[in-house]
This record gives sequence, structure tokens and C-alpha cells, in this order.
Amino acid sequence: MSDITKKKMEQIAQMWNARGKGLIKHMALQIEEVSTEGVRVRMPFNPEFCVDADQTLLHGGILTALLDSVFGLANFVAIEGVSTMATLDLRVDYLRPARSRADVIVRAHCFRETRHIAFNSGSVWFEGHEAAEIARGTASFALTRGNTSLFDAMTKGKAS
Amino acid sequence: MDVLSANANVSRVPFFRFLNFEIRSLDSLHAEAEMTFDERLIGNPVMEYYHGGIIASFMEATAAIAVHPDFADVPAKPINLTVDYLRPGVKGPLYARAKLTRKGKRMASVSVITWQTDREKAVAEGLYHFLLV
Repeated sequence: MSDITKKKMEQIAQMWNARGKGLIKHMALQIEEVSTEGVRVRMPFNPEFCVDADQTLLHGGILTALLDSVFGLANFVAIEGVSTMATLDLRVDYLRPARSRADVIVRAHCFRETRHIAFNSGSVWFEGHEAAEIARGTASFALTRGNTSLFDAMTKGKAS
Repeated sequence: MDVLSANANVSRVPFFRFLNFEIRSLDSLHAEAEMTFDERLIGNPVMEYYHGGIIASFMEATAAIAVHPDFADVPAKPINLTVDYLRPGVKGPLYARAKLTRKGKRMASVSVITWQTDREKAVAEGLYHFLLV
């Protein structure tokens, strides 16, 4: 990993941790692995995200939100000089009922970038059950390139 | 099923309470809902836009109600979805309208649209499939 990449990783981790509000903060996401090859993120179990009275079955929507968030992270890591991005479209397949109280793990990567667009894919599973994926998603993002990054805006206090 | 009983059902679902929405109208083919903006629903903290995943979740929830408003245990089982994001969802209420395009014996296909101040200016559009068996 080059120094520039390392610096960028630190910046990204800082950005996620510095979020004072919003869903990503509420999901308490933890970055486990970051490289230009992809990212791996953990979402601790949260009963608020369930659909059943026993609170053991996650709503599909939270998995979609998780994929969308982690795609964004993967893009910031993989693509140089991105200031902002917007999800253009998103497709998610729910492969199994998401019934567990285990933490959720997501792996996502950017498999192609152009000047304006990034293409992503990712998988979701419960910790320890990687072979039993619960969801898989693909998305495309519209990129805005420039020097003013979302990190700067956030880490320099504009967001808080 | 009437709106009041549908909302009673909505309030039983922890994640629906998290999203904080109410069904506004309901008939055999449609469901319309309104979600209240909250800090925890934000995706872009600088601009204070709704998180794209929250918009997709809200559309999925409204679609599930259109399919099965009188669910007993859990809402209708989703198979998959595609969402087209058209405009940012800004601070303020978000509306969704789900239309049951087809309901067969095993599967239902639902199209959903969300908007804020103008129905003609959609924030997102989605297609959702549900398993009925």
C-alpha cells in the first residue's frame, strides 16, 4: 500500500467516524478492511432494524441501505479525485431470509470506473456464514470530480 | 382494509417505527405513505439529504403494504428490487405511492414512486418483487 493510499485510508476512516449524524452513524458501521481491491464493513446487530416482534429477522431495506453505504466507501477508496457522488441506480437480490442476531458483514468493490460513472457490486452475510449470503447488490454512481472533497467539508467542521 | 388498521399493523414492525411513516391511503391496488424527516435518516450529512437506502427501504415498506396490508406476523417477503434515483431527497416529508402491477398466486410485482413537493418531480422510482407463498 503506497503512502498516498494509506493517507487516504486514514482520511476515509476519519470521515466515517467523524459523522455526527445520519444513518451510517446510527448503523454503527465499522470498517474492517480497506484496499483498492474492495472494502469489508461490519454492522452490529440492531433490533430496531428487524420486522418481527421477536426481533430476529432484519428488514431487507436495511441491507439495501448497508450496500448503498459501503458502495460509496468503496468508490472513495478506489477512485482518485472524487468530490461527491450520487447513487444512480441500485439492484438488490434478497437471497435468504435475514434471520439471525449475528453481526452483518458486507464486502463491496468498484469493478469499473469511468470519468463520470462508477460500477459496484457487493455481498452481505451474517458473521461466520459467508457461504450463506443473505443479499447481493449492484449499483452505479454518478461521480463529481474535483478538489473539494466531502471529507474536507466534514472534517473541517462544516457538517457538525 | 382501512387506513387505521393498516397503520396499527405498521406500528407493530420495529423497522417501520424506525423509518417513521404513516399510511395515508389504501385500496386493493395502491398504498400511499408519508415519512417524516429525521436526523437518523440522513445519508449526506453536509447537504442533509435522505440516505438512498432509506428511500429504498421506505419504498419497500410501502410496496409490502400494498401487497399485504393485513399481514399477521411479518410484512410481505421481498425477493428483489431495482431503484432509479432521480433527485436528492431533501429535508422534509417524503411521500411514496405503490401500485400493484401484478399479483399472481406466487408472486407480486409492485412499482413505487416517491416525491416531495411535486408528484411530477419524482425523487426515486422502484420495482419490487414479493414472494406470496
